[in-house]
Amino acid sequence: MNTTVLTRNETVPVRAAAVEGEALWLTPEELARATEWEWTPDGLCRGALCVPVPPAAPWVREHGAGTRVDLVGLARHLGQPVAASPAHGVWAIGESHAALGDRLRSLEAPDFTLPDLDGRAWSLREFRGRKVFLLAWASW
Amino acid sequence: MITVALDSAGAAAAGEWIRAARPTHPALIDAHYDLATRYHLVNVPSAVWIDERGRIVRPAEVAFADNRFIAYTRFDMTRYLDALRDWADKGSASAHVRPPADRRERLALPTAAHARAATCFRLAEHLHAAGHPEAAVEFFKEAQRLEPESWCYKRQAWALTDAERFYSTTFQDEVKALGGRPYYARPDFPPDAHEERAEP
Repeated sequence: MNTTVLTRNETVPVRAAAVEGEALWLTPEELARATEWEWTPDGLCRGALCVPVPPAAPWVREHGAGTRVDLVGLARHLGQPVAASPAHGVWAIGESHAALGDRLRSLEAPDFTLPDLDGRAWSLREFRGRKVFLLAWASW
Repeated sequence: MITVALDSAGAAAAGEWIRAARPTHPALIDAHYDLATRYHLVNVPSAVWIDERGRIVRPAEVAFADNRFIAYTRFDMTRYLDALRDWADKGSASAHVRPPADRRERLALPTAAHARAATCFRLAEHLHAAGHPEAAVEFFKEAQRLEPESWCYKRQAWALTDAERFYSTTFQDEVKALGGRPYYARPDFPPDAHEERAEP
């Protein structure tokens, strides 16, 4: 079944191994494409950060076809919010409020990469060394 | 200066405004409200001051270029612009740059419900764009329920559809429902005897 995982700024089509209610079971390869979490002998790793997988985690299954991970169970384990519309094949995975809040409290301005009208992507980090007046507006 | 348009419809909604303004600064478009989530923005226009080291020196606050919406801001924006010029000129020596502890205190930090709201909103705008407007309404409403303080979640959702039909409300009704409470949080400036003006 073709499904879509929405992350921070990405819309990632993935191939679900199985959908059971809200649970979205993925192979480790599809999980890595959707979330950048790699399934390793040390647990789930993203860059240098590794999270151990608890024994008998209900969001992991091992069977003949190999390992399967329920993205929703994993996200909840990590404190990340999930909103899903299985009928439309779409799962949105957010960031935890703790992670969002910690970043703001650090006073390091959160980086972002967004396009202009010509499609050029700009990142906040390009402006290091200059003061930035960052203004959000909307047409509505 | 960097401007960011928060608009689910992207360039189709924000493009004409950007072209008309002929900007000489980066004028970016955020169709997924990524900036709003990162900086926990609940209304527009909102501005953040960021210093040369990439540090937030003034957290998000209302920032208009003039006083045409003073009924909503209840704040004399010429004071804000003067402060902005002062910071541009003096940098960290500006009186408008507060100590880090004060800045942290002014941050509106997201709760677990707010993080869930952002995720519901992300799903809703995707469903809308994918041609499932009625399914989208359900998740827009959930985002609005989880973070009723966010005018972004309300006004963006209303702008995508018929607000009266799908949300049984209008912007004016919602402003009235504030019952005198402010539409924008007051910018962080010392009190000024002249600033309190008419309510919306």
